[in-house]
Amino acid sequence: MRLPTRKRTSGASFNMTPMIDVVFLLIIFFLVSSHLAKQEVQLDLDLPAAASGADQEEENRPRVTINVLPRGEILLAGAPVAPSELQRRLQHEAARVERDLEVRIRSDRTVPYQYVEPILLACARAGVWNVTFAVVEQAR
Amino acid sequence: MRVAHRFERSGSDDVLMTPMIDVVFLLLIFFVCTASFQVAEQVLPSNLLAAGSVATEIVPPLEQPLERIVIRLRHAGGEPAWLVNDRPYGSLVEVQAVLVALAEIDPALPVVLDIGGSVPVGEMINVYDLCRVAGFSTVQFAASVPTGAGE
Repeated sequence: MRLPTRKRTSGASFNMTPMIDVVFLLIIFFLVSSHLAKQEVQLDLDLPAAASGADQEEENRPRVTINVLPRGEILLAGAPVAPSELQRRLQHEAARVERDLEVRIRSDRTVPYQYVEPILLACARAGVWNVTFAVVEQAR
Repeated sequence: MRVAHRFERSGSDDVLMTPMIDVVFLLLIFFVCTASFQVAEQVLPSNLLAAGSVATEIVPPLEQPLERIVIRLRHAGGEPAWLVNDRPYGSLVEVQAVLVALAEIDPALPVVLDIGGSVPVGEMINVYDLCRVAGFSTVQFAASVPTGAGE
């Protein structure tokens, strides 16, 4: 028995162009939003410049970032923290990760050293020796 | 003679501008949005050394070095002042020359940075950076323990 074949008319053809447009828009939206979300993590600070800075290693090393604002306020996980409290929390974090914890200090270049020294001391007392300073590349 | 005033192309040869403009706009927005206007951050690794009464408690015993370079950085009258092994220097360039000369003799010499409390972090990083650029492998920070800290 011969089955009837159904042929579509040209007027009902599927237009791909709007779908590609929408897909492109979605791709760009997710790319840009993820990019902005990554930037949002970093507080905007006037970092000191250095010639011997190394590029950041994007490895899965446990890291704690401490921001020091121009007025000397110390921020840990986005919240202000006292130096005495900082030592306790670093100790807790170092014990929790059970690996070589890295503490990254992001300090404004105008901050007096007396606000950064307690952070270094807290790291030493907490047994965290891997301390790095965030810098920007020095203009040549 | 009749001249055709309308020239119609067939559908397959038609150049549609609208999708091309769409794509060009999309690409333009994509590159503008993904271009990073932030300066890329770098890192300066460091070793910690605490000096003072707490030093014997938290610093593991080290071999006594034959000699070490102590750089004191103070901020007097709004201007930084450098002392390398208690000898004053007037500018960072002079300090750099001394450090480079010392590093050529022995880059394994430990360098201890004693930074004053009023010194901006930018100045501290400058000196620390000089030590690293000069080639010193061990640069440590001296930290004074506040009296009455209970330790």
